[in-house]
Amino acid sequence: MNRFLMGGMIVGMIAALGALPAPAQNPVQNPLQNPAENQNSAQITVAFSNPSQPRRLVVKTLMHKVTIKGYDGKDAIIESSAISERRRRERNIPPGMHPLNVGRGGIEVTEANNVVTVSAETPLGGGDIQIQVPVETSVTVNTINNGVSVENISGEIEVESVNGGVSVTNSSGSVVATSMNGKVTVVLDKVAPGKAMSFSSMNGTIDVTLPADIKANLKMKVDNGDVYTDFDVKVTNEAFDTTESKTGKGVRIRGNRTTYGTINGGGPEMQFTTFNGRILIHKK
Amino acid sequence: MTCEEAKTRMTDYWSRTLGEAGETEFNAHLASCETCRSEVSRVGALWQGLDLLPLEEPSGKVRDRFYEMLGAYRQGLAAAEARPAKRWWTIPAWQMAAAAGLVAVGLGIGYGVRGNGPLFGGAPAEVSQLREEVANMRQLVALSLMQQQSASDRLRGVSWAYRAEPSDREVLGALVSAVNHDANVNVRLAAVDALRRFSASPETGRAALQSLSKQTTPIVQVALIDLLVDLKDPQAAPELRRLSGNETANEGVRQKAQWALERLQ
Amino acid sequence: MAEVSAGKVARLAVLFERYHRPLFRYFVSMNGNREQAEDLVQEVFFRMLRYRTSYDPAQSFTAWMYQIARNAGVDQVRKRGTAQVVDIDTFVDRRAELVSASPGPEESVSRGQDLALLRRAMDQLPEDKREILVLSRFQGMKHEDIAEVLGCEVGTVKVRVYRAIRALEQIYFTLEKEKAS
Repeated sequence: MNRFLMGGMIVGMIAALGALPAPAQNPVQNPLQNPAENQNSAQITVAFSNPSQPRRLVVKTLMHKVTIKGYDGKDAIIESSAISERRRRERNIPPGMHPLNVGRGGIEVTEANNVVTVSAETPLGGGDIQIQVPVETSVTVNTINNGVSVENISGEIEVESVNGGVSVTNSSGSVVATSMNGKVTVVLDKVAPGKAMSFSSMNGTIDVTLPADIKANLKMKVDNGDVYTDFDVKVTNEAFDTTESKTGKGVRIRGNRTTYGTINGGGPEMQFTTFNGRILIHKK
Repeated sequence: MTCEEAKTRMTDYWSRTLGEAGETEFNAHLASCETCRSEVSRVGALWQGLDLLPLEEPSGKVRDRFYEMLGAYRQGLAAAEARPAKRWWTIPAWQMAAAAGLVAVGLGIGYGVRGNGPLFGGAPAEVSQLREEVANMRQLVALSLMQQQSASDRLRGVSWAYRAEPSDREVLGALVSAVNHDANVNVRLAAVDALRRFSASPETGRAALQSLSKQTTPIVQVALIDLLVDLKDPQAAPELRRLSGNETANEGVRQKAQWALERLQ
Repeated sequence: MAEVSAGKVARLAVLFERYHRPLFRYFVSMNGNREQAEDLVQEVFFRMLRYRTSYDPAQSFTAWMYQIARNAGVDQVRKRGTAQVVDIDTFVDRRAELVSASPGPEESVSRGQDLALLRRAMDQLPEDKREILVLSRFQGMKHEDIAEVLGCEVGTVKVRVYRAIRALEQIYFTLEKEKAS
């Protein structure tokens, strides 16, 4: 289901495994990191084709840790520290050397219709991908084996990781986030009115901080944990499955419970779901 | 003034809407009629007392929902005026909702149902027609929002599904499709929950069961198992048994399947 | 509303701010359910938007609004069908408790009246009588506008308001006697 890559022109390739020079069109000073510090990093700058229209960044990767930061600029700056030092140690790569099987480990960057797509769907490689985009950009990230961090972004934020943690901080707009095995952390300074949000994890804790004046309808489902909040939540319905006693042992199990509530009189729907984690909803 | 006439003017008298001349005339009648005088003071006290009943205040939700609707409607109008013809699945929901609204107005369907029938009882034909219109509109909004690119919009589409008629097969179909195919885990989760709206339909249990055998995302599997338990679907047992015994399945899902099996027995 | 129907949809916000509370109270008085009343308020404004071109500027706005409101109420009852049956006794009792639980000085007793009793009497009033009382007493509508909403003569409205308040008095009186005994 690839909505975003239709006819996208490939504007750049970054070698994930090699120390290739950056094929950047307009080298932009990168405040994140001085490329000289890391021999393995490569950087590319991509312009959004229509700066006045809504922008979107889409990232898909199997192995990389993804960091996205909003900055005061117009372009998307993608940087890959191809193999982190940690990774090098793990894989026992001799200092000063890099693997040669570059062809199978590339990061592809395309731009089409104001959507910049960064994909690295190869089981090889790893390391970090750091991306800077204008603050007002919608972001969609899918990773499998590593975490995602989104900072200082204002827009529709969708993040998903299987084995890594997911964090959205210092941002505003709307967030739809999930991680199977990691923690989901979200700190929103402001929310877009009327937007539905949802946060879920199988094994991780959902830790969400929302503006104090947010109006929302909450739906909180947790199997093996509890829900905590410092908001004044008006619980509108609490569906407990009848607590059961296991025969003989007297062990009580409690399952399947969904709590519904409203904050500040209610508003758009916010869904919190975790199986083994707990749910924390903080007031900012 | 006769007593009959006085009776029809009493409420105006209490509300001070008789006018000066009217009041003088009314007072004159009261002075001459003991029955009316006692009635005016006795029932008038009750009339005034109604003022003291505490006023119900709506929650803030009402305002939010209204402005959400208004904003969407204006957006839709603007968009509809800008670009007329498009394939329906590419049209933003609000544009569609607005278009549907315009069609309804164009058809000249009246709202006026007059008459003295019992207020919240039986209803004339226009009303049921109108009701259908509104249901269609909700279906349209739910269906088109579920087609949107943004997960947040699709989530909203799913919550619109709660407002659809429980017999609406198209919305049910869209939800099932979202449960099975939506790219976003959170949208799939919300869609599983929304299937409860359609729990009366035998298709719901079948679809949930089928989906359970296909889903690979543990948290969605858990939600489907909860749904099957709520539906008390005995057909679910074999699949649950398979899941709970499947060593490669997620540990939490296996626990949940085991738990569900005990509940369904 | 004339401006709204002429296309200035945003003007509806002004109407919303002015009328959503009275509308909400109308629905709560009629069906006793806050949540449903909120849904119905939303529905009424939604319908106003849809049928805004059918608004006749010569017509009273409140009359038009309550016509829409009544229809929305009728629709909702149809939709609910027979699925939900409210237990009237417990419902009335709960409301009575609500009122008596917060006895402000003017609320507890006024001119010998018990507000909780009055509330119960209102709830027991037949629907058509309750409606006309709510419209004229709580919504402050003119008899002419009520006549337009109900589709009858102004004279008929006056008679019906009078009958409604008399019926309320009877119920109130009966409840008072029950309480005393």
